[in-house]
This record gives sequence, structure tokens and C-alpha cells, in this order.
Amino acid sequence: MKRIEKRAGVCLILAAALVLGLCFYALRYVLYGGKWVSLAANRHLYNSAGQLSVGRVLDRDGDVLSWADEDGNRCYYDGETVRKATLHAVGDASGKIGTGALVAFADKLSGYNPITGAYSLQGTGNDLYLTLDARYNYIAYNALNGRKGAVGVYNYKTGEILCMVSAPTFDPTYPPDIQEGDEQYDGVYLNRFLSGTFVPGSVFKTVTLAAAIENIPDLLDRTWTCTGSTQVGEGTVTCPSAHGEMDIYGALASSCNGVFAQLAVELGPDVMAAYAEKAGLTSSYQVSGISTAKGRFDLSSATVNDQGWAGVGQYSDAVNPCALMVYMGAVANGGKAAVPQLVLRTENSLGWNLSPYFKHSTGRLIETDTAETLADMMANNVTETYGATRFPNMDICAKSGTAEVGGGKAPNAWFTGFLRNEDAPYAFVVLVENGGSGADVAGSVAAQVLDALVNGY
Amino acid sequence: MNAANFPQTLLDQLTALLAANPELGAWYTAIVRFVFPVLALLILIRTIRSLLTVPHVPEVWAYLTLPNGASEPLTHWENILGRAPASDVVLGYPTVSRQHAALIRAEDDSWTVYDLDSKGGVTVNGREVEGQASVAYGDVLALGGVETVLLAVSQEELEARRKARKAQRPVSPWLGLVLLTVFQVLTAVQLIVAEGQGASVAIPTTYLCLTAVMWAYFMFMRATGRVGFEMETIAFFLCTLSLAVTASKNPGGLFKQFAAILLGLTLFVVLGVFMRDLKRVKKIRWLMAAAAICLLGATLVLGTGLNGAKNWIVLGGMSFQPSEIAKICYIFAGAATLDRLFRKRNLGLFIVLTGACMGCLAIMSDFGTAAIFFAAFLVIAYLRSGDWATLGLITAAGVGAAAVVVTLKPYILRRFATWGHAWEYASSGGFQQTRTMSAAASGGLVGVGAGEGWLQRVSAAETDLVFGMLCEEWGLIIAALAVVSIVTLAVFAVRSCRAGRSSFYTIAACGAAGLMVVQTCLNVFGAVDILPLTGVTFPFVSVGGSAMMGSWGLLAFLKATDTRQNASFAIRLPSRKQGKRLAAPVRSEESGWEEGDEEA
Repeated sequence: MKRIEKRAGVCLILAAALVLGLCFYALRYVLYGGKWVSLAANRHLYNSAGQLSVGRVLDRDGDVLSWADEDGNRCYYDGETVRKATLHAVGDASGKIGTGALVAFADKLSGYNPITGAYSLQGTGNDLYLTLDARYNYIAYNALNGRKGAVGVYNYKTGEILCMVSAPTFDPTYPPDIQEGDEQYDGVYLNRFLSGTFVPGSVFKTVTLAAAIENIPDLLDRTWTCTGSTQVGEGTVTCPSAHGEMDIYGALASSCNGVFAQLAVELGPDVMAAYAEKAGLTSSYQVSGISTAKGRFDLSSATVNDQGWAGVGQYSDAVNPCALMVYMGAVANGGKAAVPQLVLRTENSLGWNLSPYFKHSTGRLIETDTAETLADMMANNVTETYGATRFPNMDICAKSGTAEVGGGKAPNAWFTGFLRNEDAPYAFVVLVENGGSGADVAGSVAAQVLDALVNGY
Repeated sequence: MNAANFPQTLLDQLTALLAANPELGAWYTAIVRFVFPVLALLILIRTIRSLLTVPHVPEVWAYLTLPNGASEPLTHWENILGRAPASDVVLGYPTVSRQHAALIRAEDDSWTVYDLDSKGGVTVNGREVEGQASVAYGDVLALGGVETVLLAVSQEELEARRKARKAQRPVSPWLGLVLLTVFQVLTAVQLIVAEGQGASVAIPTTYLCLTAVMWAYFMFMRATGRVGFEMETIAFFLCTLSLAVTASKNPGGLFKQFAAILLGLTLFVVLGVFMRDLKRVKKIRWLMAAAAICLLGATLVLGTGLNGAKNWIVLGGMSFQPSEIAKICYIFAGAATLDRLFRKRNLGLFIVLTGACMGCLAIMSDFGTAAIFFAAFLVIAYLRSGDWATLGLITAAGVGAAAVVVTLKPYILRRFATWGHAWEYASSGGFQQTRTMSAAASGGLVGVGAGEGWLQRVSAAETDLVFGMLCEEWGLIIAALAVVSIVTLAVFAVRSCRAGRSSFYTIAACGAAGLMVVQTCLNVFGAVDILPLTGVTFPFVSVGGSAMMGSWGLLAFLKATDTRQNASFAIRLPSRKQGKRLAAPVRSEESGWEEGDEEA
């Protein structure tokens, strides 16, 4: 019997497996419970059409952007343009826009917590305040004027995203029947600002320049002469026109491809890749839990000529608008910026703030001295090339980009930068797909949004 | 108002009250969802602690005096004598074999010695023993020339020991019973609140019946002198949840589920009483083996498919899952007494039985149940042989057989394809698992209230996914308590070996407990995508008549191993007639231990 008593321990092993498995489940429940409840089939939170039937989404001023009526149907702001302008921030009723608040913050809206679950006595859910101001979205959407693209503005000291628009868009109250391959709605469910990556073109010169400032000691003393075409490696790198003789300030202001291609080749692929990575352009940020798309800077099979083109943001380069905006914020803020966030606070029916706002900072994206030099050069861009009068009351530093996309299409227009105003610490990015000239097209979108932000109208 | 109308009157009054105050129901749910976990904790913690901390003081059935003057108590009905340290009585003499002999007590207090192929041989009063011989009290038993004497326990010592064992009484069941009754009343009201105006009269009726049956059982057993009720408390608690799950899914099935509980309880008592007599048990083992094969074989011939596996028999409108009952027969047949273990050392026949059962289940495509049988086989076979090598080989053979089955029927693999990736296949292969997890998370720690969930609309929610329903409607605390209850039964089964009388009870209890644990693992972890979803039931909780009866039947094996004084009805109360043994020679000197025990 003593023998059998010892052997009976095998039952204890089985029992231990059951207990361990239960603990493992409990751990997963704590970690992923919020995701699990956000299944559209969950009738505690979603109506029979799979629409989130609890919770309100508001902007930072308390304008209600989306709510559920008594029957649990989703309703949206009374104003078609605002509905379209905030679509990607709020999300559509059927949850196709995965980065919209109705999907990404469903657990916050439902008031789900691991203790009491999805249950609430009134069954109304929570109020989720976004960091956005619907008015800036409205202005940015109108400024895009029907073109595809993305606009983002955020406070690089606190991380609050004040404006986030992605186009094309649609009216969530009357969702259109979108056919596969419909040009008008190309990538409509994608929030281009958070989840898209695009050829950066000349805005990438800010990265090449940061590398050059730190690694080429006589950079500021050099001069170049641009004839419109420069031999780099086995091929040429061309500029739209001959820029003549210039120093590095002039090279950035006139965005001379020849100069930056030569700098990129001189720095070498390893240094360039290291600076692209350090700038945060090849990694992902967590924007209130939403992962941004990773950009690309890959010179592993690049020729010398390719390396030159990669240094001016062509070749296979791709950046995410949000990541670029954060890099601009870091240049403005002495090398580190706040990580952008979308959720200002969540209030339950008793008015308790369930998700207080905590600032998160990025790592060092650029050295402080380099950032200062780069900022001065970008300020020079505005006075020399873009025109300071377009940006009244703003100490603005910016870089435009006109990124060739090939395929016979017009280039992508970029305009990105930041304000050095003490009371308006904003970094911004504007992308207009196939918009043409960056400084003109994207610059004027930026000007309208920033004007409203700084001057109030 | 007569008795038959009582539930209807109660229901009418309650629904009228709820109709008059619409807010009342919502507030009731809001409050009781926090009361339920507290009640459940109060009911189960005492019970579980009592089961887990049972001291299992061994009984003493006789003494064996050794040549050095010491006397060893025989604490089991079946004792191994030998030189090996794992023997029950260790005889450290070079002429004694490692496992020399087995000394076994029968129901009528007669002892038999079995020579286990020893080198030195066994003699009783000088006569050589061929195979086996009976030993009377006072006889000289010599093993390899080492002489021992079998002595009876004196009547005074017997009384003293019994008193000491009685002092360590199991926890009193009454507080738990009252709390469980409160739990049942609150549950019934909650279910009526959830159902609203159209609430079925079956809800108050079945809950009243369950409470009545529970009290009747406890009072009857107490009246017959039994004091241990922990296992029944756990079982009735889980049955209460089972009825709530039934009411949430389909109130029309309440009477059927209650009938299943009643049948299960009956089976539990019958099986327990039957197992009191080891001689009777030994005789019927062959019958049980035949029954297991017949039940599964009949299913093969008559079975119809419900949800994939062909494991149901439909007879006259009643559907029945014979594999649930076959489990009981299988364990009954697999467990064995010690004399048998040593006379027939190999597992041959048991392996044949297992192979037949597994073969039937494989043809039925009931792989969940096959896995459970295999787990039970491993537990029983290891307890019987203690031979890792053989079991390793058999496991390898089992895996090989599974591989063959999979090659022959590749569609089986498809069921496992979504395992671990349920969320990627949320609308196809992971449909049930994702719904389970979503609903379970919605319940939080305290649940949304019995009858208020939506998981019940998913198919098999009340059986395969019942853990999800528990989590959703009752909360993670109660769902985890249900799992912990099963774990407790397993731990109790293992601990009770120390005071086990016969290896039959010990092996059967461990086999039953191991089976229940593996079944719970497959059910719970299958539903939440930690293991593949195989469609087995949660013991006592899943809705279904055969599963409920099977669970109660398995519990009888555990009840039969509870040797605490007067604790279990499955063990005979000490008879008064034992006084006649006074005439037999007894050990003369008194050892000091029972005085100390009495003081404690």
C-alpha cells in the first residue's frame, strides 16, 4: 500500500496542471480581456448589427462626435463635414476602420474592467474625450479640398494630437457602398496618418542633414555648385533646375538633390541607416495603444546611385506621417518629444476619470546641438523659400517635399515642421497624395490649419 | 393554497412585484452578483479546507510482533511485508526478500498470507505455505526464517482509537447547507428576474425540489450516523450551477436536468453501498469490464451523431450518452486488490480492455472521451505497476495509433487547425472559442447575473462551453471555484491513500479523480483556446443527463476511500459484534501513543 500511496502522486501532477492552466487563463484574461470583450458578437456591448451600442466619443471641447441612441444604434455629429473630417478618429459603425475610437478604444467606451466586466447598471458606457479639436479637423479637411492625404498636428511638449485627418473619407451616417478597386475610396478604411507609409522625398533631407552635421566637420564651410544634374556613382541625380552655387543653408532651402545625394554617399549606407533608425522613422509608436506603421530605409541591395537617391528620400524609402511629425517635434524640443496620444480622458456615468492622461516621452531622436542647428536651417527655409508672410505670428521651421511616386502620377506633396512659439509648441505634417509641389499645395494646407491654431480663426 | 400550486403562486407574486417596480429587478441583480461569490466562497472554503487538511490517521487492524520485540501496526487491509523500504512492514533481515509476502485482511476479520515468490519461503506455525494460507490471531508467521506473530487489537485500544479518530470530526455540514440553500433561493429569484414576465414555473419548482432533495439526503445520512458531507456539498453546489445554466439556456429542460441529478444521486448511493463489501466488488469486476465494452459497442451499432461525434443513443425519445456510464465501469474494472496485483503482475487484460474502449471511441470520432479514457488508463496503470518504461511504450503506441487514425481520417485534423489561433478564425473554426472568451471577459470577476448572458445562444454553450457561461453569468471567481472543487477532489483522493484499506479503493479513487481532472482540463482549456476544443463535459456542471449521472458515479469511488471515522456511507460502521474477538490473544504491553491522541 505504501508503494501505491507514492504512485498516487501522479494525480497531483494532473491537478497541478489544471491549476496552472487556470492561472494561465486568468493571466490572459487580465491582459487581453479588454480585447476579448470588443468582439462585435458581444451582445453586452454591441447591437445585432455589430455596432458598439454603449459609450460616447467627444472631442477635447466636449463636442459629442458619436453616441448610441436608446435602441443602441450609433449616431454621429450633426454636420456632414465634421463627420467626414473625424471619421478616422472616431471610426465607422461597422468597425471597418480598425484604428477608430469605436474599435481601438472599445474597452474604454464600454467601461469594461476586469473586476466588474462589461456590466453597468444603466448600460450606457463611458464618455471618451479625444485630444482632437473637431474644428481643426474641419479646417484641415476643407483645406485638403477633396484630395487624398493626411494632416496631423500635435503638441510636442504634452503629446496631445490636436488635428488628425485622413482622406479619402466618407460620411459614417450614410456609409456608401464601396466596391473593390473604386479609385474614389482607395484605402478609405486606412488612417493614412497612423497606418500609412509614403515615399518621403525631400522631407527626408532633414535626416540626411542631421547625419551630415554630426559626421562631416567642415559641412558649414563647404559650398556646392548645382548644374541640375550631378554624377553620383554609376548614374546621375537630377534637380528640377540648376541651383547654382550655395552653402548648406542654401542647399536645404532650395532642396538640392545633388548636394544631399553626395552627402548621403559620403556618409555611407550604415551611417544613414543608423540615423533613419535613430529618428524613429523605421520603428512603430504606440499612440494610445494604436501601433503606427513602420517606415522603411533599406540600403541592403542599393548601388551607390541608389544610396544617393535614398538620401533625398526617394529609392525605396517610406515614412509614416505620424513618425515624421514626432521627429519634427523632437527637433523642436531639443532631441526628445512627447509620444503622441489620442485619448484625453474617459469619464464614467459618475464623472470619474478612468484613464488619466500621462505624458510619455520618446527616446533621443536627435542630439540637442544638431537639433538646434537643423531648426535654424529649417527656419531659414521659410524665410528664404516658402514665405514667412504665409504663417503670421509663427516662429515656424519647416521642410517641404515633392516625392516622385512614378507610374506617371503627380508627385506627393509634403510639408512638415514645427513652431518654436512658447505658447504654441506644435509639430505638424501634411501629405497631399499626387498633390504636386510640396511647398505650394501641402504648405497652404498647413498654413490654414496652423493659422486657426495660433491665431484662432 | 395546496403544495402543488405553491411554486406557481410564488412565481406570480414575484413577477407581479417586478412588473410594479421595473427598477427592482435591475437593482436585485446589481446587488446579488456580489453576494453570490461571497456565498460561494463561504460554502466552499470551509468544505475545501476540510477535505485538504484531513489528517487521515491510519486505522490499525492488527499487530505483527517482530523478533526484536517491537510490534508493527498493520494499518491497511492489504499489507506488503519485505525488506524494501517501501514495504508496509519493513523486515530488515538478509533472508527476507524485498517483497516477501502480502498479508491481507478480509471483511470478516480473517487474515490470509500470500507468498510473493520469495526466496526464503513463508511458514505458518511451522507449516510451509504454498501460494496462500490463512493466518489466525496468535499464529507464528515466519518469513525466510524470521518469525513474527499476528496479534489482534484489544477491544480497549480499539475503542480508544475510534474515540481519537472520532475527535477529528469532519467539518459540520449544516452551516454550508444553510448557505447553499440561501444561494439556491437567490439563484432562483435571479433567474426569474432575468426571464421577466414569461418566467417558467419550472424555475421555482426545480430549485425547491433540489433544496428538498439535498436536505433529505443530508438528514438521512446524518440519521444513519455519517458525519462527512464535504464531497456532497461540493457536488450539490455544482449541481445548483448546472440548473442555473440549464435555466439560462432552456428553462424547458429543467425537469430533465433535475431528474438527472436525482438519478445521479441514486447511482452514487447504490454504488457507494455496494462498494462497502470488497468481496462483492471483486466478483463484479469482470461484469463491469464487459459492461464498459457493451456500452461502447452498443453505441457503435445504435449510435447517432450529434455535433460530429457518433456517441449518442436515442431510445424512445430519450437521448443517452453511454460513454459517460462506461467511464464508471472502466474504472471499476481497472482498479484491483493488492493480492491480485501481485499474483497477476502484468497489465495484459487491462490493456486489452483499454484498447477495446479506445477503439470504439475512435470509430465514433469521440476523441475528447478517448483522451479522457487514456488519461484514466495511465493513472490506473501507473498505480498498479509503477512502471514508467512500460507506460512510456504504451503512450508511444497510443500516439502512433492516433497518427494512424489521423492519416486515415485527415478531416479530423481540421478541427485542430484553429487551435491557438481562434481569433484569426473568429467566424469559422474559432467561432465558439472567441464567443466564449468574449462572453467570459464580459462577466468580469462577479458575472452579469444568472440568465442575463448571451453565450447561451451559441451551440453547445451549456456543455462544451459551460466554463464560458459560468464566467459570463457567474463571474471568474465562481468559475474558478468550480475548477478548484474538482482539484480538491483529486487532492483528497491522493491524500486518502495513507489510510486506504484496500488498493482497490485507492486505485479507483485516484483513477476517478484523475479522470475528472483531465475532463475538466479539456473542457475549460478547450473552451478558451488553450487546448483544442474536443467537446467533453465539465463534471457536475455541464447540462446533460448521462454526464450528470457519470459524475455522481465517479464521486462514489472517492466516497469509498474516505476512511475517516463514520464519515462515509460507503464504508460500514464498526459493528458491535467485534467484541467477540476479546477471546483472541492480544498484544500485552500498552504503547503510549493513544493517550497522547486522546488528550489532543
